[in-house]
Amino acid sequence: MVDLAELHQAILNGDAKRAVAVTELALAEHADPAELVTNYMIPAMDEVGRRFECEDYFVPELLLSARAMKGSLALLRPLLAARGTEPVGRVVIGTVKGDLHDIGKNLVASMLEGGGFEVIDLGADVSPQKFIEAVQSSGANLVCLSALLTVTMGSMKTTIEALKEAGMRDRVRVLVGGAPVTQQYADEIGADGYGINASVAVALARQMAKVA
Amino acid sequence: MHESRRRVLETIEHRQPDRVPIDFGSTGVTGVHVSCVAALRNHYGLDPRPVKVHEPYQMLGLIDEDLKQAMGIDVDGVFPRKTMFGFPAENWKPWTLNGLDVLVPEKFNTTVDANGDTLIYPEGDLSAGPSGRMPKGFHFFDTIVRQKHFDEEHLDPADNLEEFAPLTDDDLAAIVADVREAAGKGRAVIANFGGTAFGDIALVPGPFLKDPRGIRDITEWYVSTTSRRDYIHQIFSRQCEIALANLARIHERIGNTVDAVFICGTDFGTQTSSFCSVPAFRELWMPYYAQVCGWIHRHTTWKCFKHSCGSVARFYPSLIEAGFDLINPVQCSATGMEPEGLKTKYGDRLVFWGGGVDTQKTLPFGTPSEVREQVLRRCEVFAPGGGFVFNSIHNIQAGTPVANIAAMLDAVQKFNGRA
Repeated sequence: MVDLAELHQAILNGDAKRAVAVTELALAEHADPAELVTNYMIPAMDEVGRRFECEDYFVPELLLSARAMKGSLALLRPLLAARGTEPVGRVVIGTVKGDLHDIGKNLVASMLEGGGFEVIDLGADVSPQKFIEAVQSSGANLVCLSALLTVTMGSMKTTIEALKEAGMRDRVRVLVGGAPVTQQYADEIGADGYGINASVAVALARQMAKVA
Repeated sequence: MHESRRRVLETIEHRQPDRVPIDFGSTGVTGVHVSCVAALRNHYGLDPRPVKVHEPYQMLGLIDEDLKQAMGIDVDGVFPRKTMFGFPAENWKPWTLNGLDVLVPEKFNTTVDANGDTLIYPEGDLSAGPSGRMPKGFHFFDTIVRQKHFDEEHLDPADNLEEFAPLTDDDLAAIVADVREAAGKGRAVIANFGGTAFGDIALVPGPFLKDPRGIRDITEWYVSTTSRRDYIHQIFSRQCEIALANLARIHERIGNTVDAVFICGTDFGTQTSSFCSVPAFRELWMPYYAQVCGWIHRHTTWKCFKHSCGSVARFYPSLIEAGFDLINPVQCSATGMEPEGLKTKYGDRLVFWGGGVDTQKTLPFGTPSEVREQVLRRCEVFAPGGGFVFNSIHNIQAGTPVANIAAMLDAVQKFNGRA
């Protein structure tokens, strides 16, 4: 019988091959997909986040763990959907208009997925209209906006204003982040939260999902 | 010796110069966006001619001699023969950037896609796929990653080494000519000969290559620094051999005509942390940095310049040990990068080439008064005893008010007792 602690360890080690192999074995043994996610994968990614916070892990380790988690999740997601298992929350995420940098956004997206969220990743250089359309079509309750550049931070404000104009601002919480972004800027543009790094972003998203 | 060069040499030898020397435009990380160069020309009442975009990736403007004098600049730069998109910065032609008339190199060939974004092509070859994109209405290019599928079992380091090659005779002749021209101006000279950047994430995707092979995706590269470390070592090791041979040939021709060499722009810092641990840095990067800096210090009087954004004070002891002398951009807003602490702890061993004013908040979004205040404070902290070249923290970005740039320069002059 497969030792499910190996799934936790494979994600922690960033070993995608092992994570997938253990997941396949577990499913062959009729393990509960939701239990795999809740009891092994989410705790593993929480530990990855903790290690990132205390600088035992850095960007490469975080990316590797996220890949391992995604490999496993790809096997589980169809089964979860078939059973009608609801995610912790639905998040629309993207780098704002004019900005093509996506490393930070990708880290946050991966950590959110690892945290049990359904993530609709719109990529980089995303217009306000695309954010609005994605919120409408997905029923997301959280929008995450990323920017690396001082010259594109303004697109965060534009996007929040567009959500207001579309009458959607009350339906979603908006979380912002990126190198030049600060709590003060988040407050100025009317965001609901500021994630100083990927780990904090997930913690905030969880808080917001509870109250959204 | 010209007073500008003497001033810089004194400060990089950690002696008190007569004034804080100023650098703008000598490297690709101490430059000014072309729109701001145009605004500065107007501000100082100079001939309003179109500005040359000499670095097309970040759209940095060439600071001509008249503007250098108006800005009080003490450093000249020597750039690699080819730009980030693989064509030389020569044979200028008109182009328009968001309504501003500029000049761009002859092979700066672009198309506009269905979204209105501008695409640029490696070596100006429109038949190759585009390697850079400038979103509509924005100000500079970012790389289009062209990662091909690769077979994990058959990764070949040679694929990631295409851009690192022995200098051709033409390359060498161009370097010699550029160095002589720069040295003739009387300012200090910093040269970027190319080839010594180990894993600079701006260069990894190969925007200058028509058909990049190997690991070219940014995420894949970061992952590889942990999961394929042997592969990266093989790349760095061969790259280092090529670089040392090129440096020897260059030195044979130019001697000690240049004062500093831009070695590497690989960023190790994020806003609050770093991209890797110090042990990982020492294992993967430091051996090659030590070889390059060691060769330079054994054979030349050149100083070694390292750029890394972000929270990188944790790496300073290793960078010093590797042989770096000049550190840039000194991002004081990042965690653990407070100016007073850096000066106290490392000021006798590192020259702070930057740190003069914050470009994430104060310079683009502050008032002229806030800019002046910060610049004066930074000069008070970094200038005593030398070891400081004034520069903003990285390039001055598009949209920065010219009044703030002028306030910054006025404040340095005031500190220098000239205003």
